[in-house]
Amino acid sequence: MSNKFGLKRILPLAIALVLFAACDHDTEPETPSLFDRFAPLELLDSLQSSTTEVDFSAGQSVSFTARFNKNIDWVITITGQLSGGVKTIEGFDLIVDPDNATWEGGTTDLPLFREEPCMVVLSVPEEPEFGDTLMIEVLGTRVYEGTLVTDFEDNPGACIQLGDFEFELNNSGRRDDIITAAQGDFFYRLAGTDNETGGPTDNFFVGLARIFACITGETYIQVPTTVPENLYLNLFVEGRATPYTRVVLGLIIDSNDSGDFEEGADAIRSLEFDPTYTGWRLQSFNGSDFGVTQEELQKVVGIELVLISLNNLQPSPREEVGFETDYVIFTQNRPLEL
Amino acid sequence: MVLTILFACASEGLAQAEGALSDQEAETFLKGVNFNGLGRVYLRQTDIEGDVLENDSLTPRRLTDGEFLLDLKINATPNKKTEVQSILRLRNEFGGFFGAGQSIEVRELWARGIIANRVEYRVGDMDIEMSPFTFYLPTEEGVINQPSAFELQRDVIYYEQFYTDEHSRRMQGANLNFGLKFAQVLKDADLRGFIARVRGTDFLTIPTRWSSGGELKLRTRKLVDATGTKADLGFNIAYTFDDLKSGDANSGIRNTVYTFEYNVIGYETKKMEYSLFGEMGRSVLTSKNDSTTFFTTDDVFATVNAGARFKEKDLFVHAGFSDVGPDFFSIGAQSKRVDFDAAKTFYNRIGQDQDVRNITLFDLSRDVAIYTYQLSDRLMTYDPRFSNTFPYGPATPNRRGLNYGADYENSKVQASLNGAVMSEIRGQGTEQLKDFFLVQAKANVNVNKFLEWENNINVTVGYQYESTNRGGIEVEQVDLNSNLFEAGLELELFEDFEVLFGAKILDAVGSDYIPRIDEFNDVVDFPQRTEYDDTETLLAGGVKYTFKEGIYLTLQYQSFDATGRSDSFRDYTLNQIFVLYTMKF
Repeated sequence: MSNKFGLKRILPLAIALVLFAACDHDTEPETPSLFDRFAPLELLDSLQSSTTEVDFSAGQSVSFTARFNKNIDWVITITGQLSGGVKTIEGFDLIVDPDNATWEGGTTDLPLFREEPCMVVLSVPEEPEFGDTLMIEVLGTRVYEGTLVTDFEDNPGACIQLGDFEFELNNSGRRDDIITAAQGDFFYRLAGTDNETGGPTDNFFVGLARIFACITGETYIQVPTTVPENLYLNLFVEGRATPYTRVVLGLIIDSNDSGDFEEGADAIRSLEFDPTYTGWRLQSFNGSDFGVTQEELQKVVGIELVLISLNNLQPSPREEVGFETDYVIFTQNRPLEL
Repeated sequence: MVLTILFACASEGLAQAEGALSDQEAETFLKGVNFNGLGRVYLRQTDIEGDVLENDSLTPRRLTDGEFLLDLKINATPNKKTEVQSILRLRNEFGGFFGAGQSIEVRELWARGIIANRVEYRVGDMDIEMSPFTFYLPTEEGVINQPSAFELQRDVIYYEQFYTDEHSRRMQGANLNFGLKFAQVLKDADLRGFIARVRGTDFLTIPTRWSSGGELKLRTRKLVDATGTKADLGFNIAYTFDDLKSGDANSGIRNTVYTFEYNVIGYETKKMEYSLFGEMGRSVLTSKNDSTTFFTTDDVFATVNAGARFKEKDLFVHAGFSDVGPDFFSIGAQSKRVDFDAAKTFYNRIGQDQDVRNITLFDLSRDVAIYTYQLSDRLMTYDPRFSNTFPYGPATPNRRGLNYGADYENSKVQASLNGAVMSEIRGQGTEQLKDFFLVQAKANVNVNKFLEWENNINVTVGYQYESTNRGGIEVEQVDLNSNLFEAGLELELFEDFEVLFGAKILDAVGSDYIPRIDEFNDVVDFPQRTEYDDTETLLAGGVKYTFKEGIYLTLQYQSFDATGRSDSFRDYTLNQIFVLYTMKF
């Protein structure tokens, strides 16, 4: 029978083909998992923290744990009850654990945290109804690496010069009013209206502040590196929603080696930035952006902030321009990491 | 080396490659340039009504359109070994005047000939088909056994998209083929190669894309006289690649598919024939950034079928097993005819919010705009109501299982039954695998031959049942059942005057997840489960008068009804009346 139908010849070939067909494929299921996408969310283990009190200044950290029934995008939002500072930790996982949810005192949205109680909320963006909450107490705030020029917490005296030559500044200088400082209680404001009356003087310049090295107790600011490409000047800046403000930020160089700033004799290496936004933001600038040399960085005698009004864009009557700044700090190799 | 061996073994070259001109033909052609072509007048009026139009002031309730076109085919044979042809299209839209809506274009242009009486060449437009896993245009969805009433509109679509009755794909490029005859073991061999440009560069980020391929077909003589054993063997390779030196593009793909085809007739007598046939091979997909490969995947497939042909009973039965890996990627074989993402010509958006209307039986039966012959570098969108088992034809990846079929044909009845019991190889978003069950049956009955009437009375029926199931927990479960029924009547009342009736009914109930697929067939996401409870009914009736072969006039009325829509639409009805005059000359 087999011979008659040629099966002796066909069968081995067929078997070989079937074996070939049955060879392995990559059978790892396509992602995303349908269970993760569509199964109802359940919190199997509620949000817990490793401690209820944490001192970041001592190098401590706090970690969080929780467990869901499926992999999902989750967010831990930590909000300072006094400062209003916010730290968010995000993940996509089944489990919240120290590997993916540890807080070392940093901040996502300024202000920086203070010594204060903080509310911790675990939420799931896909499930607006879901939330799990606990409280922790910050006993000491995080210490940031770098050379702090000033956080404006202490009265600077003559170490900060406020320039208001046309008497255009308004409510400017070291302040702790109206808004919350980005760090601590005090910040520095430059605000005013250039040529408010529309007179012949329309010089765009509203005012300036010079922060001299004496605020650090030194003749020159001891920058952490004199290599411009490795140096960053960081400062927190709160701007204005209107589009008329610009800030010229400069490094004052003691060109004549007098040990003090002398106008006309000393160079100012500067750049311009745009603070037309609301809320506090970290502004970081590389040393090379100032066009400063390695030699000059050894003689930084101060920092200058100039408030400019973009009069060409201004309506009539003119609107106030301004900004607030806080926590001026030099860092090495990378911008300040919050 | 293979070619060298073949040449060495060949007893003689085939004196006449397929498609080359015989002396007689050439002599005829040499008398002058030949003009042929096609003329068409197509006028349509479509009405829409239904709940979906409530609070919709934007959608026109009636659309009238049409076209007049003349495709003028100019064929010239400058000498016995060369033939050139172009088709110039003159087209005017219905209602167009003073130049608006008018167009003149070159629809087709090619030249072919034969070199040294051995090698046939063709440059320009050409239709390419290789094996089902290398270069192959799968059949469109929504058709099992097209009733005659809808066939005429489908002819328009086929003509416009260069579809043939086979599975060829229109390309632009060049091909060569030649044949060899042998005295021993092998009977003959055919070799063919082609290269075609499938996409031009935008001179920025999109590189020029080329497709090329080659096939070697071998036919043996009887290997065992007692059993009549003989074999047809084929070796195929398809290679699609991006030219990274075109434009400023620096990333592109390489897709190689090589396969082996076989059809072994193990035993043959005057009454019957047993055979084993199928194809096996491998695909490799590589993505390159300049000269660096940053993504590569490969997979294999194999099909093996056994068939028995009972010659006296006009019956062929077959059954087989197929396994197509989840990462099997073949641009030339997996690019579909229907682009479910394409904008429809008629009522693409309707309703108060002007949502995009899903493609229905009505659109599949008449809208040229949703059809394509282009290659897609990802698995195209499909509608599981129409096809879920093999949405990409035989080369649908991620399928393993059994198939079966039977074909019966005589002068009175042509019938076939095909089916498959398949399963996924890799789960989509779950370890659970979908199971597919498919049955397709169709029959053409020439009633007049039973009644011994002179005029034609043809009845056609087609039916498809498809079921998709997946177990698991609730979110993983899939359960979709669909029925597609077709019936048609072609009644020749008087000589050359026919009355046509046709019906197509789709019913789909259940739910499924349709993955959103990115390049390289990567599943990006699974959108929300799609629930179906749809019924679509398409009815047609009309008359057709055939002046002579290739020249006819038809007037038809069609009514389409969509109820229980699973998309964002409520019920609606489309009514169409059209006149189609076609003249092939």
